[in-house]
Amino acid sequence: MTRGPHTSALQALWIVLILGFLYIPIVSVVLASMANTRYMRFPHKVWSLDAYRDAIASFTTWQIHSISFWIALFVVILAVVLGTLGAVAFARYDWRGRGVFQRLLVLPIFFPQPVLGLALLLSLNAVGLAPSWKTAIFAHLVWIVPIVTLVISIRFFGYDPAQEEAARDLGANRWQVIREVTLPALWPGIFSGALFAFLLSWSNLPLSIYTSGPDTPLPVWLFSRTATNYSPLVPSVAVIGTLISALLVLSLALILLAAKRVRARRP
Amino acid sequence: MSQRSSPGPWFAAPVAIFMLVCFAAPIFIVAWYSLMPSRTFGLTGDLTLENYRSAVTDGYTRPLMWSLIGAATTTLATAILAWPTAVILHRYAGRWAAVASALIALPIFISESVRLFGMSVFMMPRGGILAGTMNAVFDIQIGSILNTWSAAQIGMIYIHLPFMLFPLLLGVSLIPADRIEAARDLGATRWQTFREVELPLAAPGLLIGMLLTFVLCLGANAEAAILGGRAVTVITAAIEQRFNYAQDWPMGAALTVIVILVTALIVLPVLSRLDLNRLTRR
Repeated sequence: MTRGPHTSALQALWIVLILGFLYIPIVSVVLASMANTRYMRFPHKVWSLDAYRDAIASFTTWQIHSISFWIALFVVILAVVLGTLGAVAFARYDWRGRGVFQRLLVLPIFFPQPVLGLALLLSLNAVGLAPSWKTAIFAHLVWIVPIVTLVISIRFFGYDPAQEEAARDLGANRWQVIREVTLPALWPGIFSGALFAFLLSWSNLPLSIYTSGPDTPLPVWLFSRTATNYSPLVPSVAVIGTLISALLVLSLALILLAAKRVRARRP
Repeated sequence: MSQRSSPGPWFAAPVAIFMLVCFAAPIFIVAWYSLMPSRTFGLTGDLTLENYRSAVTDGYTRPLMWSLIGAATTTLATAILAWPTAVILHRYAGRWAAVASALIALPIFISESVRLFGMSVFMMPRGGILAGTMNAVFDIQIGSILNTWSAAQIGMIYIHLPFMLFPLLLGVSLIPADRIEAARDLGATRWQTFREVELPLAAPGLLIGMLLTFVLCLGANAEAAILGGRAVTVITAAIEQRFNYAQDWPMGAALTVIVILVTALIVLPVLSRLDLNRLTRR
């Protein structure tokens, strides 16, 4: 069968339609943030950035961002440590019980998140722990550690353990092997794992909503303000929060690129 | 290296202990609570199945049905939308396809609450983005589906489309192009090629995508709250209501266990058949 120019055009159109479906709501948030009226009356009579000024001046904005940031930071650190160790067991060694370990580990990914959040909330109450941003860290980890483990494992499957033996034969000790051979090979996987962990924690709603108690992370604040008490402040905070995560990712990528350049220049 | 002396279990231990404490133990506690007498807060009452009986008689099958319907509809709709998308992206693999894939992946990392909020301002009646634009540009007044179950359903499809697309893209990449050509040369129609060649070969990816979408939708609550205006009560909302306002923990726990059992019934058979080594190695 031959594919005419019509087919390709139709296929391109399909992709554009799907992208439109995915991006219309995101563009809508940006449009909604440029109003200065209490109620949404689109198209705005006056387009303004007042809401952004108010958002930056507001203490709440800083508070919800810093709560989200601290949660995400601890999630990244713990998820990378647990995920790297887990990936070694998942992909590097062949051991009895590995098949069971692999299947049990991916279970939390295939679990309804809000239900997990509610189960954790009840358990916290049962053991007498008050929910706060600290408990939210562990709630996030239940879902994020398996994902990070998988991301790092993918890297591990392409890794040849024979390199380690070669290094050992050449006289490297155990620590040198880890530092000079294993970690450099794993580094890209660990980096993407950390990135995933940060972004997924920063944007998580269904786990935070039940496990963060009186501390309100950004997505939870947006959720509750969307349902009640709407003002242009809400979309402007949404845009700011999303931009911050994008900036963090972008600057991290730039630092990495620069580090690579510097290392390449070194003899 | 012999299997017996492998350090694998030592590396698995920290993750395993973490999951035992933060995943398995909470499920156990919830299961235990579900056997406690109604409206009690301790864990030492007499064991009873009363909560499960009331779950059926007090009409909690309705929220569960809505969640199941929502999950099934979303799974089907996202599969239908994602299949041609995956096939096209795979066929034109190259720079444009990579850009398009990246653009499709990006929204996963933008908070659900931000995107659903955007969907709701788009759908709002009169002054919403769509209604306002139609009115200003074409002078047409249109209604709005905001605060109905259909709006929640569209929101669920919107949120979960990327979760279906990426496993499917992996599945479609397992179809060798010459296999399709061969089928066509042998006189197979388009439908026959799809059913006999493409679908079975892409099955692992499709299966993971459908499983992921279904399970995530089973607990979905934000869509029904923001877009559906709570026109219907989904199971998560019912559980939350038991926990918070009704202060009936054992009942909420029983409903949670029912959702977990439904999930396990769907996930475990599929997961036990998948070869995770083969899929992550790709």
